[in-house]
Amino acid sequence: MDREPLFRRKTAIAYKTEEKTVLRGYDLSELAEEDYSFCDAMFILFQGRIPTAEEEKMLKYEMGEFMEHSMSPSAASAISVIAGRPNLPAAVAASIMTFGGVHGPGAAHGYMLNKYIERARVEGKTLDEMAKVLVDEYLDAGEPVMGMGQPQHREGDPRAEPTHLKQEELEIDGVYLEFQRAVEKHFHARRKREGKSFVGVNVVGAGNTALMDIGFSPNAAWCIGSVSRGYSCAAHALYNMKRGRAWAASKNEPMVQMLDLSMIQYIGPKDRETPSQEERQEYAKKQKESGEYKKWVI
Amino acid sequence: MGDLKRKKIGNLDDPRLPYEYMNRPYGTEPVDTTRPQFSWVSEVAYKNAQRIVARGYDTTELVEQGYGLVDLLFIDFQARIPLLEEEKMLNYIMILSLEDGLSMPAALSRIVARSKTYLTQACGASILAFGHAYGAYSAFGNMLLGSLARAEEGGKTMEQLAMELVQEKQGDPALGVSDLMLKDPAARRIFARAEKLGVAGAHIAFTLDIVKAAQQISDHPVDLDMLGATGATMMDLGFTPEATWAIIAITRSFGAGAHYIEEVEREGSTRLGQELTPKEYYDGPADRPVPPLAERDKIARPGQTHSPEEWKVAFDERQKLPGSGYAIMEEVKDPSTKT
Repeated sequence: MDREPLFRRKTAIAYKTEEKTVLRGYDLSELAEEDYSFCDAMFILFQGRIPTAEEEKMLKYEMGEFMEHSMSPSAASAISVIAGRPNLPAAVAASIMTFGGVHGPGAAHGYMLNKYIERARVEGKTLDEMAKVLVDEYLDAGEPVMGMGQPQHREGDPRAEPTHLKQEELEIDGVYLEFQRAVEKHFHARRKREGKSFVGVNVVGAGNTALMDIGFSPNAAWCIGSVSRGYSCAAHALYNMKRGRAWAASKNEPMVQMLDLSMIQYIGPKDRETPSQEERQEYAKKQKESGEYKKWVI
Repeated sequence: MGDLKRKKIGNLDDPRLPYEYMNRPYGTEPVDTTRPQFSWVSEVAYKNAQRIVARGYDTTELVEQGYGLVDLLFIDFQARIPLLEEEKMLNYIMILSLEDGLSMPAALSRIVARSKTYLTQACGASILAFGHAYGAYSAFGNMLLGSLARAEEGGKTMEQLAMELVQEKQGDPALGVSDLMLKDPAARRIFARAEKLGVAGAHIAFTLDIVKAAQQISDHPVDLDMLGATGATMMDLGFTPEATWAIIAITRSFGAGAHYIEEVEREGSTRLGQELTPKEYYDGPADRPVPPLAERDKIARPGQTHSPEEWKVAFDERQKLPGSGYAIMEEVKDPSTKT
């Protein structure tokens, strides 16, 4: 059997021989035999080190709380994809790929923290002073402050503040939590001054802060959050695969299905005749000249 | 839009059509008031503004009580809190599943990374590596379930069923036995740990029968491989073949995320049109002139066949062109065996 790798790369992550698989210098099988946890292995994967017991507990907490979030864009993706009955991994992949600019934007939040903490250092400001700068700059520019607000948890994300508290309980609060807390303080103060409603910290603002305080990079933190969610999305896809109706449009189900024709509400151009090929050029010329089509361009 | 002008278009007035195409109604379907409207029905989880609840357990309360991701997997997929031994066993398997060097999930992740994408696209792509050969947990698990169901019907011993299975599937990538782990003790250690923790059951026992049968009839050394070891143990932990497939693939996706990061950090990106395919890689038709379009009728050969014999000749000829798809024979259900 050909056991050559698909392509050649210099890698500092892992190697594999006929005898063992080695992650950052540690034999994976021996790590498991020594009763290290999966969370310990995640530190080795992304940071090349074995964590303290408190750090391991924080990651366990974080991955556990992030895994399941019921109906969010990622679960909806998994359910929609599995309606066509592809292989299950396609639905799981789709769920993880749903994590973009606004759904679990862990990396962007992390880069924001790093950028402003660096500015505090360079500009000689305290973290509290720089947190106010961050809030003002984002809000003055009409940009949302990453890590704040969640459309479903209107009164505050139930996972968020407990995560901050857990970090403090485990005494692993560092520069990131101090800065994040200051961002939240100035964010709330400004919204109050402006007569706006309360918008709480979300699980990215809290969880990503914790992950960065225990040494994970913005991208590693994003990976941890997004991929952890993949497990629950797989469960949602499997539930629909095993208990639900393929295609999600059957008229025989007791409830109107997700893709039932009656779910469509069309608000596009009004119904119109299809021009023949003889009419096409003149028709297309007039259509282009009128410019009416431009309001529909997406 | 009943005022639209009606005129004949193409074949749309053909009487063989199922209804009058030129008189089809425009407009969307009315709201269905005969049935309850659509809602996200789930046995797995729900949430409201202040809670997220999985299988009845509030997830924030779970993590505050010290439960973690590994426990949540039992809760989401099996609606139960695992025994400590079961949690330890799954933890063990997930460590071993985290990384596999420059294997297919890492390769897919790195290829996607080269296009300057989000990390999550690369992680998702890595999961697509898991099919019915690489990480064939669904095929393996359902194979076990089939044999165990036959055992319940009686008449044959587990050893006999294992031998029949191996005779049918020797060399199948989903068998769980191969020559991949002859020098690496990791797979055997998984079963040993399952025995030590007291979580080994019928799936591990039957997989050992399969290994024994394969070793008896194979013309080269074979042993339990990682697919067989992790697949059987996951099923003894109560996970279905499909749940196992997903859990192991997702676990590897963390490792794929690290490969994405390293690819971005250490390698460049690839632009559209950048990569060449050397001619020495090519073994298709020899270079030939593009005929003038006006000569098409002289050159073109129709693809239709008009008898099973003609069809067979054309089919065999088409199989000779790699990439045409004719050489792939997918198995389909055979209802004739039931009639």
